[in-house]
Amino acid sequence: MIALYVPGRSLLHRAPAGAKLVTMFALALVISLVPHTLPSLAVTAFVVVDLYIVARLPAATLPRQLWLARWIILIMVATQLIFLTPWDALVNTVRVVAIVLLASLLTLTTRSEDLLAALETGMRPLARFGVDPRRVGLTLSLAIAMLPVVAAIARSVRDAERARGVPLGPRLVVPVIVLALRHADDVADALTARGVD
Amino acid sequence: MTDAHEIALDGVGVVLDGHTILERVTVRLDARRIAVVGANGSGKSTFARLLNGLVAPTTGTVRVHGIDVSREPKRARAEVGFVFTNPDAQLLMPTVAEDVRLSLRGSGLGRAELDARVADTLAAYGLGELADAPVFALSGGQKQLLALASVLVREPRLVVADEPTTLLDLGNARRIGRLLIDELDAQLVVVTHDLELAERCDVALWFHEGLLYEVGEPTAIVDAYRREFA
Repeated sequence: MIALYVPGRSLLHRAPAGAKLVTMFALALVISLVPHTLPSLAVTAFVVVDLYIVARLPAATLPRQLWLARWIILIMVATQLIFLTPWDALVNTVRVVAIVLLASLLTLTTRSEDLLAALETGMRPLARFGVDPRRVGLTLSLAIAMLPVVAAIARSVRDAERARGVPLGPRLVVPVIVLALRHADDVADALTARGVD
Repeated sequence: MTDAHEIALDGVGVVLDGHTILERVTVRLDARRIAVVGANGSGKSTFARLLNGLVAPTTGTVRVHGIDVSREPKRARAEVGFVFTNPDAQLLMPTVAEDVRLSLRGSGLGRAELDARVADTLAAYGLGELADAPVFALSGGQKQLLALASVLVREPRLVVADEPTTLLDLGNARRIGRLLIDELDAQLVVVTHDLELAERCDVALWFHEGLLYEVGEPTAIVDAYRREFA
């Protein structure tokens, strides 16, 4: 789900990360809180699609983001159809999908370092309560960087499972966690060696 | 050479979880390029990790360029850059430029200077085009180049590399080897199974079952080491 930065020169790429972050939050609030009607849902969809066009990303980007979100969409629709009316299910799903797409758009058009710098600036007032914004920023970057690593670990465990012909089933989680923790040890060593604290 | 280039271990022993990893290591080294060879589990990686304080000696002292590594770990780590075998363990940021920039955290440079320094470093290692690329998408050779760039941007005066070419193909191994042996300004300690690389150093150390078994001229050490396994 972590959409990675796609370099570009569009208006959205050039806008400051902080402004984009605030706008995204504001849009997300409006989309969540406004009681929707059919026209307002259409406007929401129109705004999201429009923003993707303004960002001048490759044409396949928006469908790809939707495809990446397919399980969320599916689970949301299925569970809500059980408990709510079809109309409410539609409204809630459009809300969530629109916000997910906006968040993806933010990361697609903003380098993670700029985003983190903006977050660090935003968190500066919290310093007086003992929060170290630089450390929070570093932790978030590390988390983003570790996602593909954990995915690679899971892939290699699954490959080992297949190669050795031992079906592990849900027990697969155990070696993945063990390897991820071992990797965390390596990361701790690297942070020390690289003089980051 | 003076104290400024001297690595000095005095009666160093390392015991981890009740296992003796290294014992009675006493050595003074002031050569520019130092190779470390030995079988798996011989203690050579532990020796490397002692030099920047990733491992603390159980007994004895480790001094690098006049700095007591146990007493002043922070100063030691500014002096000593460390390259790991597996670059995946060392590269910590999502993109190439960010990883180099991480090394300059706390350097006090302004944003423009930082950008320039990062761009220069990436260009010097042929990674300029990949500045915004996600780290996980790089090839093994590119990852090790980036790991090296991220270490060297801090301008350490000693570079310790723990089997830096083990996971690389021949071409990339030679490239990293050339960078370390021929182009590096800093002093170098390279732990390696690549005996050609070891032979190109100025002095070689041979570790065997936790002991510093022999120190000497690299071709002689490598010959003896080869005969051991003939």
